[in-house]
Amino acid sequence: MLFLLGAFIVLLLIVAGSRGFSLLFGLAINLISIVALLILIADGFNVLITTSIISLIILIVAIYMNVENANTANIAFKTSLLIVVIILLITIPLEFWASAQGMGVEDQEELEAFSLAAGVSFPQLAVAIIVVNSLGVISETSVAISSGLNEIILNKPSLTPKEVFADGFSVGNKILSTQTNTLLFNFFASTFPLFFLMNSLNYKFTDIINDKLLVAEILTMLICAMGVILTVPITSYFVYNKALKKSANSINK
Amino acid sequence: MKKNIIRITFVILIVLTATVITHFDTFLYKSPIVKIEQVKVVDKDKSTDEYKNTDTQVSQKLTGVFLNTSKKGKKVTLKNSYYQSQLLDQEYRVGQQVLLSRSGNNYTIKNVKRDTTLVFSLGLVIILLFCMQFSRAKLLISVLLNLLVYFGFIKLLIHNNNGLLLLMTVITSLLISGIALLVILGPTSNALMAYLSTVCATTVSILLSVLLLKLSGNSGVHLELTDFGLQPYFSVFLSQVIFSVLGVILDETMDISSSLIEMKKEVHDVKEKVLFKAGINIGRELIGPLINILLFIVIAEHLNLILLYLSNGNSIGYTFTMTLSLGFAQLLISAIGIVLTVPITSYIASKIISRRAY
Repeated sequence: MLFLLGAFIVLLLIVAGSRGFSLLFGLAINLISIVALLILIADGFNVLITTSIISLIILIVAIYMNVENANTANIAFKTSLLIVVIILLITIPLEFWASAQGMGVEDQEELEAFSLAAGVSFPQLAVAIIVVNSLGVISETSVAISSGLNEIILNKPSLTPKEVFADGFSVGNKILSTQTNTLLFNFFASTFPLFFLMNSLNYKFTDIINDKLLVAEILTMLICAMGVILTVPITSYFVYNKALKKSANSINK
Repeated sequence: MKKNIIRITFVILIVLTATVITHFDTFLYKSPIVKIEQVKVVDKDKSTDEYKNTDTQVSQKLTGVFLNTSKKGKKVTLKNSYYQSQLLDQEYRVGQQVLLSRSGNNYTIKNVKRDTTLVFSLGLVIILLFCMQFSRAKLLISVLLNLLVYFGFIKLLIHNNNGLLLLMTVITSLLISGIALLVILGPTSNALMAYLSTVCATTVSILLSVLLLKLSGNSGVHLELTDFGLQPYFSVFLSQVIFSVLGVILDETMDISSSLIEMKKEVHDVKEKVLFKAGINIGRELIGPLINILLFIVIAEHLNLILLYLSNGNSIGYTFTMTLSLGFAQLLISAIGIVLTVPITSYIASKIISRRAY
């Protein structure tokens, strides 16, 4: 493991140069925030409130440390915040409806030695899992779209609001398909052992589609996809608003 | 605009119908399904375990009606007990549909019926897609084709009893990344270029990481902790790494190579060296966000287990070794892949693009 870590750091510094340090710094802060989240939840703090606060910190680090253009960063941050709130609002009822919290019968063997009366609210943790899962995808999408759009506006300041939206979607289209791939392939990575196990347990089709673990994985993927989809119009709207204000100012002068 | 509204209404209607149908599809099930009509709390027992976790165990008496099988319409009483933290067990509510398993004349609750939620969530994604001007057809085709390939992969995996897992993963990855690129970029030389870069970068980084792991004798990596202890450990682990990093590397190669193509279009006589440098500069900005994506996905996946370890009085160090050592190894290999993709893609793309005439 240390070899891997060493190789990563050396390669990062070779490729990214001095930028590598700030990247490492950002990653370290994110890791520390996640550890803090875990400790706080284990200590009995409310899962949803803690997750919201830590998500805020993570978004600040993930966006402001990676983006140099302040204008782009501001818009991306506003969008990501709004999307995380929307994801929370979508996830809470869906998770309540699906009751897909915690772990499944498939995990039982692993859990034999544990006291299961953990005192942690696993239904709330299920919501937190989806939110944490979405943070990286959401922040990257919003940064990509706002920086792409800002560049277009810089080159063609005469764009009408309608054109800004259309451009947002053409930038968004590509990002949506690549993010879908990322989510889908990660779904493949985490579910193939599960499918294999289900087969050796002789699950029928109806058992599979109602299985707690599988439903939780699918919900995670779908809700993250909703977040990515919604990021596109919201970012475009913020960029358009900003451009509108700017043009109004220049006319007044 | 009006046409659009009609189409969206149509999609919403279809999604709602599908959701309602799955709500009433109990006749398709072989196992008995019961709709819970009454819930009574029989007993509440607050307890504190040896690690000072306070939890309440609740016993419920449930009354429900059979929705299918020959007992349809008949009433049944069921017992359930759960901890309020609901890790493995769960609280049942009025109106929920549950699947039962039968032993003799006794029924026990096996599972909650979750297919309606799934269909509704999927429908929500589709409605959102239709509300906006995305090129939906492309996206849906690529997802469906990839799911098809994955389905074949699972079938073969089960058929071969896991024997050729690694080989099959490599073939599947070649297929799904190829499909993704073909659908997004079309059958162009640009797609081929991105494909070449993706394959090279993934291969180099995986081989390098395996070498490093072998050199260190897998120290600190608890391979036996793969999901559900599926064997052979090392192949399962590597397959998961390959799948999870593939999407991110695809994203990266497409970004770098398409920016370089743009550059060539604007400056016709651009030198290979200049292109390579520009590629590195663009790639540098991508590394951080992409590693972040995987970082959060990997950690989120293990949150349940980590909290169970922590609440069972384990130290943070021990908890992380037992739950995240594999995740971190996966993350480091992915990170190496993400970093290596930058020079590899820049090199391949600059070589090919600078020889092209525009």
